[in-house]
Amino acid sequence: MEVKITTLDNETTVRLIGRLDTPASQEVAEELQPVKDKADGTIILDCEDLSYISSSGLRIFLSIRKEAAIKGGKVIVRNINDNIRNVFMMTGFLNLFVIG
Amino acid sequence: MKANVQEKDFRRKSVWTGMLMMVVAALTLEATALIQYHFSRIGIREEASKRAESQIEETKNKVMDILNQAESAVRNNIWLARLCLETPDTLQRVTEHIVRENQVVIGSTVALVPGYNRKLGMFSPYSFIDPATGELESKSLASEEYDYPSQEWFRNGLEHEDGFWSEPYIDTGGGDMIMTTFSMPVKDPSGKTAAVITADISLEWLTGLVGGSSVYPNAFNLIFSRSGKIMVSPVETLVMRNTIYEMIHQFEDTAAFTRVADSIMSGESGNTSIHRGKELSHIYFAPIDRVGWYMSVVIPDDQIFGEVKKVNSYVALLQLIGLAMLFLILRAASGSQKRYNLIKEKKDRMENDLMIAKGIQMSMIPKVFPPFPERSDLDISAILVPAREVGGDLYDFYIRNERLFFCIGDVSGKGVPAALVMAVTRSLFRTVSAREDSPGRIVAAMNDSMSEMNENNMFVTFFCGVLDLTSGRLRFCNAGHNPPVTLTDAKRRLEVVPNLPLGIMPRMEFQEQEFIMRHDDVIFLYTDGLTEAENSESELFGEARMMNVLSTRRSANDHLLALEREVADFVKDAPRSDDLTMLLIHYINPRATERHLVLRNDIGQISLLSEMVEEIAEERGLDSGVAMNINLALEEAVTNVIMYAYPEGEEGELRLDAVIDDDSLKFILSDKGKEFDPTAKPEPDITLDVEKRPVGGLGIHLVRKIMDSVSYKRKDGKNILTMIKHI
Repeated sequence: MEVKITTLDNETTVRLIGRLDTPASQEVAEELQPVKDKADGTIILDCEDLSYISSSGLRIFLSIRKEAAIKGGKVIVRNINDNIRNVFMMTGFLNLFVIG
Repeated sequence: MKANVQEKDFRRKSVWTGMLMMVVAALTLEATALIQYHFSRIGIREEASKRAESQIEETKNKVMDILNQAESAVRNNIWLARLCLETPDTLQRVTEHIVRENQVVIGSTVALVPGYNRKLGMFSPYSFIDPATGELESKSLASEEYDYPSQEWFRNGLEHEDGFWSEPYIDTGGGDMIMTTFSMPVKDPSGKTAAVITADISLEWLTGLVGGSSVYPNAFNLIFSRSGKIMVSPVETLVMRNTIYEMIHQFEDTAAFTRVADSIMSGESGNTSIHRGKELSHIYFAPIDRVGWYMSVVIPDDQIFGEVKKVNSYVALLQLIGLAMLFLILRAASGSQKRYNLIKEKKDRMENDLMIAKGIQMSMIPKVFPPFPERSDLDISAILVPAREVGGDLYDFYIRNERLFFCIGDVSGKGVPAALVMAVTRSLFRTVSAREDSPGRIVAAMNDSMSEMNENNMFVTFFCGVLDLTSGRLRFCNAGHNPPVTLTDAKRRLEVVPNLPLGIMPRMEFQEQEFIMRHDDVIFLYTDGLTEAENSESELFGEARMMNVLSTRRSANDHLLALEREVADFVKDAPRSDDLTMLLIHYINPRATERHLVLRNDIGQISLLSEMVEEIAEERGLDSGVAMNINLALEEAVTNVIMYAYPEGEEGELRLDAVIDDDSLKFILSDKGKEFDPTAKPEPDITLDVEKRPVGGLGIHLVRKIMDSVSYKRKDGKNILTMIKHI
């Protein structure tokens, strides 16, 4: 699992590459801690290369989303594949995120 | 065969034992009798010796008494005779006096030494009692033909100063009497021997005296003279005619007789035994010294030992009776042995029959496992353990037209009657089901037949099923049997209508039911011998223990072995009271495969799940979405266990069994962590907006969403989560 964070002005793009399973989530959660500070702006979670996500991965997504909600920021999930969209659907995440 | 040999051996042994007993008893009795006889003889012999010796002593005393009287008569009159020497004519008064005054003396003389009186020459006046008249008579013994100076009594009388007793002789002068004479010399004042004075005593009295008193009825006395002449004998013809040595012809062992005779004649005292003819005689002997006679008492052996012999023959008779009784008892015992053998033979025959019956009964039920080795869609195992040789339980199964016909039954009662009904039931099942596919109608037809011929009011609880092996459709009919257990995912249960057992009454309706068996489903049929197996504390094995054993995933055969072992461990040595029968049918997809994965309780192990899912997806050609979902569900389930079932730092294992069927995937996740039921958690509300949305609880939610069936069990200290996904 690889995470690439790029910040441009008020917009932070997080590129998730690989499988975000439970073990990976523990590392990713730490790596993305700084991203939460940018939650007053726009955070783009780019899932083009994300092949898998578990509930612990979803938890990271949710925690960022909650931070944004508090700070008045915005979270956009981009390029999710059908499988992950399905997981989002099963968990009601489609209603929590802007899928773009 | 072995029993037979043993029995023969035993029988032979018992015959030998019997004979040995007889012999030992006989020997013991005989030994006792011999010892008794021996000591009796010794005692009796001692008694006889004493009696004989006292007899001899008594006789001797009597004889001596008489002899003393005669001797005294002579001695007391010697002085008178001496006085009369000068006047020989007066000598007759002396002799008359002696005879008259002494009863024992029957004759007396004073015989002058020839030449002593030159005028008289021979002179011997003799006075005697005439035996014919009893009168005292006198005569002269001085005659040419008698020639008294040549007579023994005279010659010896002259020489023996102290007196002499003559040899007994038959008196020819007087009256043919046997007599003996005591004679003493008479000396004149100058000391010259002038005459011999005598006293005769008759030996008739001796015979009367001695012969008449005997120690034993047939014993007799013998008295021999100095020269061995027989003086007293019960055989009168011998008296005075024969000597002791002339009796020798009566004895076979002449040397022995001579020894005896010599002993007697040498004046010894003692006793000896000698055979006379066939008879053994005991001879006691002693001398009568004064007269030089020899006295003996002869006692025939059977006189002495007659009593003891009589007693002995009584003893022998008693022994015979005892032995006869012992023989009879032994024969009676061997009779009862025979009866026992007969009963045993009968029992053996019955046991043998029962063993044959058992063989026949067992041959009626399929018992080669696996029964259908060519089929991969069925794993069947069955077991029947009768409580006795034969039992009333049954099971059966066979395949006809791709349908598995199976049944289990329990006949009321036990033993041979139950076994016969069992045989009938099984035959009916085969016969009826050969042309009938509906279990309801099979059961009804069997019930009709069995009710009509059921005179003994025996009934059978019966469960009959017909499983369509292509569709998994199971039709079944229960006739009062305990409902089978199905091992499926928890959502489906086998509901069973009880109905009545077979054989109660004819023309009854039995409700047929249906159940769809999915691949990997198990139906387990059993008789109450399983759940009602009782231990020594009267506890029942029960359904809980049964279900516990069944909860572990095993092959059909292993299931039954595990159950049998569990029951045996539970019952221990309490007697088995009921037949135990089990039939387990595992309906499997022939194309189904199984995979197993063992994980440590470490989040890092999660990646192994995706490997397994990838393999399954490839094998079954699953699309990536389904594969990912399954991976996700499994990950969530496993993560839950790792996070919640094991305390921090404690090592543990998780096992994941996957059964990959062509229309379903079954995952069984088990662990030995603390009890944790993920299904008990409430469903999260996924409609809440972001502020209210909790962070956790999504894992089990995903499992539920992805899988078609999720069920949790806690068994044997294990958390068992079964997840099924239809594909």
